[in-house]
Amino acid sequence: MAGEQVTVGRAAAGARRRARPAGLAALIALGLLLAGCATRPDPSDPEAVAEFEATNDPLEPWNRGMFFVNDGLDTLVLRPAAEAYRIFIPPPIRTAVYNMLGNLRSPVILLNDVLQGEGQRAGNTLGRFVLNTTLGVGGVFDVATDFGLPAHGEDFGQTLAVWGASEGPYLFIPGLGPSNPRDLLGTGVDAVTNPISAVTGGSIFDPITVTRIGLQVLDTRERLIDPLDALRAGSIDPYAALRSAYRQRRAAEIRNPAGATDPAARGTGFGVGAGASGPGR
Amino acid sequence: MTSASMFPRRLLLGGLAATGLAAAPARAQQTDIARATAFIQATGEELVAAINATNAPVAQRRERVAQILRRAVDVDGVGRFILGRWWRTATAEQQQEYLQLFEQVLIRNLSARFGEFQGVRFSLGRTQARTEEDALVSTIVERPGNPAFGLDWRVAEVGGQPRVVDVIAEGTSLRLTTRSEYSSVITRNGGNVGALLVAMRQQIQTLAAREGG
Repeated sequence: MAGEQVTVGRAAAGARRRARPAGLAALIALGLLLAGCATRPDPSDPEAVAEFEATNDPLEPWNRGMFFVNDGLDTLVLRPAAEAYRIFIPPPIRTAVYNMLGNLRSPVILLNDVLQGEGQRAGNTLGRFVLNTTLGVGGVFDVATDFGLPAHGEDFGQTLAVWGASEGPYLFIPGLGPSNPRDLLGTGVDAVTNPISAVTGGSIFDPITVTRIGLQVLDTRERLIDPLDALRAGSIDPYAALRSAYRQRRAAEIRNPAGATDPAARGTGFGVGAGASGPGR
Repeated sequence: MTSASMFPRRLLLGGLAATGLAAAPARAQQTDIARATAFIQATGEELVAAINATNAPVAQRRERVAQILRRAVDVDGVGRFILGRWWRTATAEQQQEYLQLFEQVLIRNLSARFGEFQGVRFSLGRTQARTEEDALVSTIVERPGNPAFGLDWRVAEVGGQPRVVDVIAEGTSLRLTTRSEYSSVITRNGGNVGALLVAMRQQIQTLAAREGG
């Protein structure tokens, strides 16, 4: 059974590399078809049933297969690349990259602030974009934070939640990390609504977009090196721990609690959008 | 609060190291909030001092941290909460061993990261009452070369004394995350609590091996 999942996972991982948002939906459908669902607990045990419902992971066998595939992909490709990025690129340049990526995301954050009716946060995002693009030299320096406009994140997955959409079953997507149908759709919408994709014609193969996504993956994974190492070393079930942390953290992000810190530069790399926000963020 | 170290857990422990507090807004729970705040401030300062005492051997610093945690954390209450429905299916011996292992996991999770937390500081956040029994004390934890992060401490009165019952890093509760993780281990082993105890023993060994100072 485990072998089956792995095979499915490899095929899916291959598909994912080529995938665009539409491909992701097909990938999920494939997983649903091939992997089967978790065994439901005995209905005569109400506590077990309640826990099964609360965990919200009916596709757990498939998801664990994806988690395993992701580990392989990460060990072979993503983590070494992130290590090289950390070793060869000096910290001030990495900070500049982080700031620029966050600034490039501002239009999407602004759109979602507006769609959620968050006037003050929308103003904050707009102010940040103007200040950082001009005084901050195209986003290299985060001067807005010094002006009292700290960064916050928003995405279309959160907007859907504010509009009342439920998250759907938990999903683990290789290369992307923890997710669910709502957040996966949100990721696709965020990519499409980014004004940069209009400038570049919407293709993901043009040099600007490839560079941006590549840097985003490196930046995100580099920031996750220490937290994910700690997870792997210390957890007795990293899959379950990450699942719980992701869902709790997303719920907190959706609530926008006062004083919460929320990175503007959310990547597309491993663990993105994860509860995986370590001190390295 | 314990084991599997995930990011929040790690933060959390980082937070254990770093704590601080400000005066609470006046509410019905005024006394409790002030008490909880003072308690977290004092406990945090003790932990920071223990972690940053680099001239002492690691074993000695670990013993100091263990003393602080045993006094400040409601280890039995949190441990039972985390085991949840499996507490009742465990034998009395398993319950006892579980609580001992749980305390060790808590201590070792911190001592395995002494190096990482070197130079840690904490500062005051806001304190809010959450429920009848709990106060939520927020702190900001800083380590050299790392961005600051927020850490909230849930403090309850246990036996007339304030005790930490949960730590929440960036919206993620350590207690809930660990509960989910432990239950997953037991469920995947056919409801066998013994399998969790085996995993916890291994985890403690792993953490001990990482304890370089």
